[in-house]
Amino acid sequence: MSRTRILATLRAGLAAAPLSVPEPPARPASLAVGPDAWALLAEVLAPLDVRLRLAQNPAEAATHVADIARERGAASYARWDEMPAGLDMDAALAGLTRLSPDCCQALAHVDLGLTFAQAALLDSGSLVLIAGPQRPRSVSLLPPTHVCLVQRSALLPDVSALPELLSSQRDPSGLLPSCLNLVTGPSSTADIELVLVRGVHGPGALDIVGLDWEL
Amino acid sequence: MVLTSTFTPRNFREQSEKASHDATLRAVLDHATRYFMGKRGAALDAFADRDTHFARARAARLAALSRLPELLEELEQSAIAVGTQVHWAADAAEAREIITGIATDCGAKVVGKGKSMVTEEIALNPALEATGAEVWETDLGEFIVQLAGEPPSHIIAPCIHKSRADVAALFREKLGLADLSDSASIPELTLLARRALREKFLAADLGVTGVNMAVAGSGSVILVENEGNIRMSTTCPPVHVAVMSLEKVVATLEDAADILRVLPRSATGQKMSSYVSVLTGPRRASEPNVENDGARESHLVILDNGRSEVLADPVLREALLCFRCGACLNSCPVYQTIGGHAYGSVYSGPIGALLSSLLLPAEDTRDLPFGCTMCGACKKTCPLGIDHPKLMLRLRERVCAGKPQFIGAAHAFLATHPLAYRLAVGAARAVDPHLDLLPRLPGLPSGLASFVESRQPPGLKPPFSTQLRAGRKKQGGA
Repeated sequence: MSRTRILATLRAGLAAAPLSVPEPPARPASLAVGPDAWALLAEVLAPLDVRLRLAQNPAEAATHVADIARERGAASYARWDEMPAGLDMDAALAGLTRLSPDCCQALAHVDLGLTFAQAALLDSGSLVLIAGPQRPRSVSLLPPTHVCLVQRSALLPDVSALPELLSSQRDPSGLLPSCLNLVTGPSSTADIELVLVRGVHGPGALDIVGLDWEL
Repeated sequence: MVLTSTFTPRNFREQSEKASHDATLRAVLDHATRYFMGKRGAALDAFADRDTHFARARAARLAALSRLPELLEELEQSAIAVGTQVHWAADAAEAREIITGIATDCGAKVVGKGKSMVTEEIALNPALEATGAEVWETDLGEFIVQLAGEPPSHIIAPCIHKSRADVAALFREKLGLADLSDSASIPELTLLARRALREKFLAADLGVTGVNMAVAGSGSVILVENEGNIRMSTTCPPVHVAVMSLEKVVATLEDAADILRVLPRSATGQKMSSYVSVLTGPRRASEPNVENDGARESHLVILDNGRSEVLADPVLREALLCFRCGACLNSCPVYQTIGGHAYGSVYSGPIGALLSSLLLPAEDTRDLPFGCTMCGACKKTCPLGIDHPKLMLRLRERVCAGKPQFIGAAHAFLATHPLAYRLAVGAARAVDPHLDLLPRLPGLPSGLASFVESRQPPGLKPPFSTQLRAGRKKQGGA
């Protein structure tokens, strides 16, 4: 059986020539998440053509989301059912048709997808989206515009925070979430003549609204 | 340049010779390798504590190799615990059989593929097509080379050898877009590919991807990309197969995170690739009752295909550290000159010459380790500290079975004795100035003959006396 044979060959190889691993240097200290965190995030997002808009209260957040929908020319949207408390996104997007994200086929015709990041990483400008019962994966993938809300308390230094974050989201039976996506800027390619194009398979536009109040 | 899939590592010499005379290819390679090195250089200059991050990434990869059998067993257990079906494939044929079996079981008519070197390695597409399924490469570059019927030419940018007009012509013919003009812009072409592939994704019954890392502790597979096609391949079709070469396992999510600090920066100069997916098993029953929002069935194929044998060699096993950032390709003067196709196998450049030599039959890859100038640019570039030239030397030793040939020994002597060297060259040049006769000399070692035959000596300067005469004539004429 292949499994047995593969494992036996590997064991024999290591027995013939043991491999010792020197102790790695300690992981460098992470960026501090301080009062300038939003500014750091905006700075790392700018070269990715991602605009970060800050909202001090739910009304401002609603205005930002409505502005984005208008600027991107969206006529329809889909969103995660789970949204931060106190935000009425359906009211903010009242002029648009809300489609339920009940299948890829339907989502493929939606103009705007609205999600809510479980974390955002300052080092790389990555949004962390964790799939779950109220959080379908394709809302951040299929529509041409993706709008993501980020709470102040969700700002984390870098990708080294991921293991703990994943663990904290275990389901009641102790399983890790089935899907975590890091989203860093819009979908992009430079496959033809190395010319950068935004929006190949995923959204070509990514907008972030920072929720800068205690939630 | 007309490309076909008939490139083989066996013809590395002829293919290199031909490629190095192709001016268009040279221009493309020059542009591409500079582009990647420029982006990468800028990103690494701005990367605080870079060397510490590199060292941690190397340690994570080394630690994985040092416990490879245990970690693979742990990965299997963890993956099964989260609902993934695990398969072991000793070679390409076995992997194809497993994957076509899954395709047949789920009645796959349309298969969407994410970019993956390993599925190229096992020649999966023809096997899947033989089951009657349509197979679509969905990475833009891979899609283009698939339409053209060509192999990819770069780990990161498979179609760098094609111009926008080439792509327009291809789309006109293969996508039935008769009106598409040669002057179509690159964003327009990209949009056309998006539309064509979007349909395929929505119809796909099976998604097949590679794996950038698999985490033994959690049973997760990690996929890194920029376009979103890999997310699509793992989200829309009801069944996902991840094909992993066995060295891609790491012990923990912490190790994976250390590697994620380094891999995108070294590959494309990005702080993070646009999309990184950490998939831990199929979609759960608790997730939204949404059709096609994450595969309901997930498979992990663990492929050996010659790698397990390499682990016993303390020098050559360094090649298994590689996480395929492609930086060594761009830095390599040989790759910069001949490009990817000349290597004749899936993997090209310095790491490609090493991997192909280790994974393919020895008689097919004799020449690969000699396609190296020993300049060490790859070693200097590699974030994981792989010492490619040292491995090349080891492979060269292997090719000549550890015994230097007479000609090698003679050259070594001459090279370390300058006076003897000058005498020998002087003597050869006096008797046979253009080295025409030397290769035909009876009784000459074949090594010397082939050395001389493959080289053109620079022309000798005319003797001083003729120069003097010519000079006088010129003066007189003026």
